Amino acid sequence: MRLSLLILRQSRAKKEVTFSSVLVLVRLPEHSGLGEIITMFRHLRNLQQVSRRTLSSTARRQLENKVPVKQKMFQEDNGMPVHLKGGTTDALLYRATMALTVFGCGYVLYALIDAALPKKKA
Amino acid sequence: MAHQAHAYHMVDPSPWPLTGAIAALLMTSGLAIWFHFHSTTLMTLGLILLLLTMYQWWRDIIREGTFQGHHTPPVQKGLRYGMILFITSEVFFFLGFFWAFYHSSLAPTPELGGCWPPTGITPLDPFEVPLLNTAVLLASGVTVTWAHHSIMEGERKQAIQSLALTILLGLYFTALQAMEYYEAPFTIADGVYGSTFFVATGFHGLHVIIGSTFLAVCLLRQIQYHFTSEHHFGFEAAAWYWHFVDVVWLFLYVSIYWWGS
Repeated sequence: MRLSLLILRQSRAKKEVTFSSVLVLVRLPEHSGLGEIITMFRHLRNLQQVSRRTLSSTARRQLENKVPVKQKMFQEDNGMPVHLKGGTTDALLYRATMALTVFGCGYVLYALIDAALPKKKA
Repeated sequence: MAHQAHAYHMVDPSPWPLTGAIAALLMTSGLAIWFHFHSTTLMTLGLILLLLTMYQWWRDIIREGTFQGHHTPPVQKGLRYGMILFITSEVFFFLGFFWAFYHSSLAPTPELGGCWPPTGITPLDPFEVPLLNTAVLLASGVTVTWAHHSIMEGERKQAIQSLALTILLGLYFTALQAMEYYEAPFTIADGVYGSTFFVATGFHGLHVIIGSTFLAVCLLRQIQYHFTSEHHFGFEAAAWYWHFVDVVWLFLYVSIYWWGS
C-alpha cells in the first residue's frame, strides 16, 4: 500500500468556516505514476471546492441565531406550563418519563416486598 | 403576559422533582437488589429516569431564563448563592475522604507494616502521568478563564474555541486517568491504601466527567447564541465548578500522590 501525504492550501474567504491548510492522507493505487497522481490531486481539489461551498452554506444556516424565535414561542400566552410549551416532543417525552416513573414505583414495591418475604427452599 | 409586580420567579408546576425522587428510590433500591439478587434491571431503570429528569429539568431552566426572561438580577443572585452552596457541600464531601486518608496515613498501623505507603504497595510515580494530569487541569483553568473573557468581550469565535479546548483538556485528563487506573500495580482491594486512593481519585474523576459535561452544554449554548456579554450565568456556574474540580485535584496530588508516596 502506498501512502502519500498531500498538503492542500486554500484561501481563507470571509464568513466561511474553512481551514487555511488541510492535511490529507491518500492511499495511492499500486504502480501509479506522476500523471495519475496529478489527476488525483485535481479531483481532490474539485471535491474540496464543492464541499467547501456546501459546508459553508449549510454552516451559515446552522449558525443562525434562533433565540428571538424561541423567545416568541415560549412567551406566547397559551397557558401551557414550561415543560410542555415546546410542542409535541415535550408531551411525548413527558409521557414516557411519567410512564417509567409509575411503572418503576410499582416494580420497586414488588421487588422490595418480594425480597422481604422469606422463601421456603424446596 | 407578565402579571407580577415583583422581580422574583414563581415557577410553573413541574413533574421533574417527583420523577427525580422516584429515580433516586429506584437507583438505591436497585443497588440493593443488584447486590443481593444479581439483577440490574431496577437500577438501570432508575438511571434512565434520572437522565430523563436531568435533561428535562435543566432544559426547562434554560427556557425560563433565556427564552422567558425570568432570570432577573435578584433571581440570578439566588442562583449564584445556590451554586456556591452546592459547591461548598461538595467540598465537605471531599473533606471526608481526605480525613480518611490522613487518619490512616499519619499513623499507619502494625498491620500495614507501620509505614506509609504500606509494605508491599508500589505507589505511582508522582512526577510521571500524575504531574502531566496536574498540568492538563491547570491549563484547562486558563482556557476556561480565556473563554469567560471572550464571552464578556463579545468574541464569539474565541469563546467557542477556548471552551472547546477546555473540554478537550478535561477529556484528555479523563483518558490519562483511566489509563493510570488500568496500569496501576495496586487495586481498590489492597487495604486502606487502595481504598483511600481509588475512592478519593475515583470521585474526583467522576466530578471531572460531570464538569466536562456541564462545559459541553455551555459550548452548545454558546454556539446557539444563548449567552450575552452581560448575562451568562450558566457558563459562570460551569467555570466555578471546573475550578473547584481543579483545586480538589491539586489537594489530591499533593496529599495522596506526592506526600503519600
